[in-house]
This record gives sequence, C-alpha cells and structure tokens, in this order.
Amino acid sequence: MGEKIVSMEHITKEFPGVKALDDVHFELEAGEVMALLGENGAGKSTLVKILSGVYTLDHGSLNIFGKDYKSLTPNMAREVGVAIIHQELNMCRDLTVCQNMYLGREMKSGFVLNNAKMEKEARKYLDELGVDIDPRQVVGDLPVSKQQMIEIAKALSINAKILIMDEPTSALTSREIEELFQIIHRLKNQGCGIVYISHRLEELAHIADRVTIMRDGRFITQGNYADFTMDEIIANMVGREIKEKFPKVVCPRGEKVFEVKNLNAGRLVRDINFSLYAGEIVGIAGLMGAGRTETTRAIFGVDPKQSGKIFLDGKEITINGPMDAIRAGVVLAPEDRKKDGLCTKLSIRQNIALPNLDVIGGKSGIINKKTENDMCDKAVRELAIKTPNLEVDAATLSGGNQQKVVVAKWLARNSRVVIFDEPTRGIDVGAKVEIYHLMNQLKQRGIAVMFVSSEMPEVMGVADRIIVMCDGRITGELKGGEATQEEILRLATSFENKMAREGEEV
Amino acid sequence: MKKKGAFGRLLAIKGAGSVLTAFIGLIVIYVAFGIMNPKVFSIMNIQNLLRSMSKYLLIGIGQSFVMITGNIDLSIGSVVGMSAMTSATLMTRGVNPFLAILLTILCGLIVGVVNGFLVGKFKLPPFIATLGTMFVARGIGYIVNGNRNTDNIASGIGKEAGDAFQNFFYYGKFAGIFNTFWIALVVFLVFFFLLAKTRTGRHIYAIGSNVDAARLSGVDVILTTTKAYLVSAFCSVVVGLILAAQAGMGNMDAGNTYEMYGVAAGVIGGVSPLGGSGILLGTFAGAGVWQILENGLNMVHAQVGIQRIVIGVIVVMAVLLDVVMRTNDKKGFKKKS
Repeated sequence: MGEKIVSMEHITKEFPGVKALDDVHFELEAGEVMALLGENGAGKSTLVKILSGVYTLDHGSLNIFGKDYKSLTPNMAREVGVAIIHQELNMCRDLTVCQNMYLGREMKSGFVLNNAKMEKEARKYLDELGVDIDPRQVVGDLPVSKQQMIEIAKALSINAKILIMDEPTSALTSREIEELFQIIHRLKNQGCGIVYISHRLEELAHIADRVTIMRDGRFITQGNYADFTMDEIIANMVGREIKEKFPKVVCPRGEKVFEVKNLNAGRLVRDINFSLYAGEIVGIAGLMGAGRTETTRAIFGVDPKQSGKIFLDGKEITINGPMDAIRAGVVLAPEDRKKDGLCTKLSIRQNIALPNLDVIGGKSGIINKKTENDMCDKAVRELAIKTPNLEVDAATLSGGNQQKVVVAKWLARNSRVVIFDEPTRGIDVGAKVEIYHLMNQLKQRGIAVMFVSSEMPEVMGVADRIIVMCDGRITGELKGGEATQEEILRLATSFENKMAREGEEV
Repeated sequence: MKKKGAFGRLLAIKGAGSVLTAFIGLIVIYVAFGIMNPKVFSIMNIQNLLRSMSKYLLIGIGQSFVMITGNIDLSIGSVVGMSAMTSATLMTRGVNPFLAILLTILCGLIVGVVNGFLVGKFKLPPFIATLGTMFVARGIGYIVNGNRNTDNIASGIGKEAGDAFQNFFYYGKFAGIFNTFWIALVVFLVFFFLLAKTRTGRHIYAIGSNVDAARLSGVDVILTTTKAYLVSAFCSVVVGLILAAQAGMGNMDAGNTYEMYGVAAGVIGGVSPLGGSGILLGTFAGAGVWQILENGLNMVHAQVGIQRIVIGVIVVMAVLLDVVMRTNDKKGFKKKS
C-alpha cells in the first residue's frame, strides 16, 4: 500500500448534549479504499465532516499529506484535495449541472464567469465517467442516481486525492453500482485514497481494502478487510451478534385482501395487475426507473390514474387521493422519510396523531388528549420505538425509529394494506433487522404487506413473493425462497423490444 | 439539444417562460388600454410611463436580488424615505449635492449591511430582521429633520444647484426620454450583469436554492447575503433621491410600502419568492406590467379602489400561472423520461 495520507488521532467532537466522537483514530493510505463502518449514530459522518472541513474538531490532531491542521474550512480541505460526497446529496436544485460542479470555485475571465470553459470541463469529467448528462441541465430535473454521478464528477474535477463517499450507492441500481465500483478502482489506481461509508456490507467484498469500525462515537477496530469475516464485522459494529440478517416468519397465506387490475398511470405504470394476500409479504424488485415508486404512488392516489380497478376484500374501491386510500385502509410509507413521511419539526405524538385526527378529534374536531396519548403510547410500545417520551422531535430519531413512527401512524387505524417504498434506505444493519421484524409483525397480524426495494438480497430474503417490474410493466413473479439474483435481474432488464430510435434527442 | 437557436437557448434558462409570459402580458395590457384610450400610445404618455416605471424597476431589482437568495427585504420603503429625507435635509442645510448624495448612499448601505448580518450571520428570519430595520430606518427619516418634512432644497443650495439636482434625477431629458429612466436602465444593466455573469451572482442563486450545499461548496453565505441586501439598499437610495428630486424636498412618508411593489414586480416577472430562480429581465417586465396597469387604469379613469383590486388580482394570477405551469412541466418531464 501507499504512503499514509491522512492520520487522525484522539479526535473528540462534542455537540451540545452529545459526545459525537470520543478519542477516535483514523488513517488512510494512498491508493486504498478504506471502508468506514458503524451503525447510524456511530459517528462516521461526523468524522468525515471533520476531515472535509465542515466541522472543526474539539481535541485531537488531524494530519493530511504530512501537514497538521488545527482548523480546516471546506475551501481549505478542497484545496488540499479532500472531496466529500454527502449522503444527503447536497445540490442546488435550481442550478445547472455545470453550475453545481463549479459552485464556490467558478472559473472567470476578468469579472465575468467563463461558462463556456466550465461547461467544457464539466463535459470532459462527465464523459470520463461515461454518464450521459448535459452540463446545462438543471439538477432538480435529474434523478438521484445521476445527481450522484455529478457529485463524483465534481470530485474528479477538483483533482481530489482523498475522496470520501458517504453512502454513495443507496440511490443507485445494481448496474450503476457496478459502474461506480469501476470508477472507484480507477481512482484507486491513480493513487487516490478513498473513504467509503456504506451500510450495504455485501458491497465491501468488491472494493474494500481495509476497514475501520466505529460504534457509539468510539473507534473499535481497524484492519485488512480480508482478515475479517462478515459476522465479525457486524458483531463489531453492533456490539452484539446478529443471528439472522433476514428473519423469516412462516404463517399460512390467508385470503386475497387487495387486488389491482389493469392499472395505468403514465409511462411508468402500464397495465399493472397483482394481488396481495393476508399473511404474506410481497417484494417489488426492479431497476431504478422501473416504475415501482410510481406504481405505489398511483395506487395510493398521489398521482392520478388513467385507468384500472382496485379491490379491497373483494369489493371495488375508488382511490382518488391519499385520503381515500387511508380511509379504505391502504397506506403508504414513502421512500423519503424526512421529506414525505414525517413532519420533522413536530413531535412523535403529533406525527402519529396526524392521519388519525378524525378518530382522535371525533366530530367536534377538538383533540381528545387522552385518546391521543393512549393511541401513541400503544403504538410506541407495540413497535418498540426507542424514545424517551412522545414529545421528542421526530427528526432526532434514528432512521430505523423514524421508519417505525411512519408505520405507527398507519397502524393506529387498523390498516389492511401497508405499502413500503424502500423501507431500509440509509438504515444500518441492526435497524434493518428491526424493520424486517416490523414487516413480519404486520404480516402475522394478517395485514397485506408490499414493499419496493432496490436491494436484491433484501427482496429475496424478506419477501414471500417477488414481483419484478421493468419499464413500467410487471415482467414476472417469483417465489421468495426460490428466486435467484440472476433470475430477478433477467426479468428486471427484459425491456420491450423497440426499434432503436437514433438521432432523437434524449 | 445542441441545435437550439439563440432563442431556444434563452428559453431553456430556468424561469425564462415566466419572463416571456410577463412581456406578452405587458404588450397585451398596453394595447388593450390603448384601444380604450388612444392617448395611451402618445409620445408624452410613453415618456411618463417610462419615468414612473423606473421607480418600480429599481425597487424590483433590489427586492429580486434578495428574493433570489430566498429572503425578503421589508426595509426598502423606509430606506427610500430615509434617503429622500437625508439628502433633502443635507441640501437644505447647504451641503453640496454631490456630497449629500454620497452621504445618503452611505447611510442606505449601512442598513443593507445590518440586514445582511442579521439574516446571514445571526440567521434571523428575514421577515423579522428587516421588519426591525424598516421601523428604524423610517424613524431615522423622521428624526433627521426634526419630525417634519424639509423645505425646498433650493433654500439651502440655491436655485441653480437645486434645479440641477431635480433635473438630473427627474425632470431632465436625454434623447427624448426622462433621465430617471436612463438612471434606472444603467442600474438595471449593471446588476443584470452582476447577477447573470459574475461569481457573486452565481452564489446568490446558490444560497437561494440550497444554502447548505452552497456553504459546503465554500460559498461565503454571510457575504453573499449581505451583498444582496446591499444591492437592495442601493436601489432604494436611488429611488429616494428620485423622489426628493421630484418633490424638490424631503417627504417623511416617501416610499411607504414600496417594498411590496418590489415583491410584485419581481413575482410578476417570475422571480421565485422562495429563492433560487428568477432573472432580472423578468423584473423589468414585471415593473412594466405594474406601471402600465396603473397608468392605463388612470387613463381610462378607473377609481383608485378598482386599480388596487386589479393590481392585486394580477399579482396573484401571475404566481398562480407559474405554479400551474410548473406542475404541468413536472408531469411532462415524467412522461418524457
């Protein structure tokens, strides 16, 4: 391996009320991929934010390329060659790709911005990554996966020698992940040191050279990836052994609860037919842009349907908006918890009560404090939401607990069908298992559970039945226990045979 | 995509659609009023139109800068008043007009700096921070001349200098058009350039779009916010000077509620009050729409009450149209992708 390019010793960082980092050690060599592992809240993000100058450290020493830094600003970090790709993509949605890439270090000729040059450069780096993005496109119009590529292109364009990736694959499809790994390999060969944070441990085998494991703000261990077994890594992360990665509950398949017939809604939801039964979990697999999220949104009534019928317990129901769906007992836990699932400035109590105010308030509309508290207490107890009390801001909970609050909102009103969209995105191993337990719990209650997931092992491990989508259509259905990754992928990529449309603009 | 002409490229800029709509609206409204009363088309009316529009344009530029950063400036009207009073008071005391103008600009810019720091550094909600400076600036405007309007400025600096001041900012003409418009045009061009072509401009859009991303990219949020408020303050000062020149004296209540005219001009022209998007060309159109409405309604002898109602409806309609178009855009995008 190469020379040591980053060395952080005895790093301590306190935020009001919490010690985020306590005497942490971290190092990085040139030309290696260092996986930084730990559960949510272990302090990984805080550590890399110190390395990239977002936070300043309270105590300890930070040495980059042999030089000690007491305080580092984002600009300084960039100048020495540290680039960070944040977990929650940080882009100005109203600006173009090129404007985002050169934000804060715009090229000028005299006083005037040199857009032509920046665009040319941006195009060069995007081409280098092999992604088809026009630098003049507005970022907000692009899907998350492409935004990720822009962040990487940005890192390339500043000649980063230390590249930090915080959960880079959480929004990518398998093919995109493969591309990303190739890029990582190339950067590595060029002598780049890469800090790689991910909850998808199965990825590590493809790229990680060494691992650093953290837990509760402390450094636990560090070593060559090859020297660890996966179980050891997990045990070090969570401080206990996790028996089952995908806990399975067997219960008899009940009656048909929910049925969707000939649903059409735009280009990504075409002639969708499927049924859900009580006591089973159905996973929806597919690539990014296969129309899975769109399907759930159309069912839930967020997006308008063009045609199609929906049946609940054999009776046809009309869903024209989320309220219709909720009243009928069909509920959705959306993909982006913070954006669509929770009111993050409100307390847990207020969040759980929100869709149930008709029950709590009754006809008068005056909120019955006791009913509300009872309902919320019950929900918190049943789902084992870890919180000191009901008045805590939903934003302060961990990802797993937030997801539980989202579900708690719906369980309080005896929902019949629960649809999850990417329920475990950005959630750590321990919490993932809890989410699976939660889904199993719902299943045992006789609720029809459906979930959309881009993580294939998860779909295969958790679902009793797998529906695969491609390009807005259902392309196949597989049994949970019997499906193989290859089979799913084959179905997920069985695009309709279309004449190649050449020369048309994209 | 590469084959698009200059016009197509222009339309591809975010918010260009709203600007086009505003310009079309401007022409439609103007022609409609012209049909009702042909005097609307007269040279004299056009001259007056351009002069009166200049105030809204200047205010609109300032407010647009602040709105694009995702903030708002409620102190604009008060800075206008304060500037009218300060400059007039100084001149009635015999201070050289140039020096008076300079001092007035300085005072106005101080308000801009205070706004920028309260909002950028101390992170006060801009509505509250500038509400505070709004009262303070108005108060200062009252105090400078002992709680009364000033005398005629000629009483201090003499008739010749007084006339020169008034002509420069208001009554004089150049190439057949009132100086006021030329002043506004120069200011417009300078700030158009600043916003569209410079790093500062880019940063102003960035912090309005996503302040965290901007900060993490190394954008100086405090400085950029302050710059936007400085532009706003500067434009307000210029309007204050124009009002002082128009009246030949300082009026304590000059510029009252002008900040809202600025919001209206910007919003009609497609500047998003949520920040991140909008171009000054839109503000130009917005100020035009506003002034043509006012002028046209006057020319067809509509009551003041009716004028207010029409203007209010237009502002809401402009934003409504924008919102509806955006929703359609999104749907269109989904279908295409």
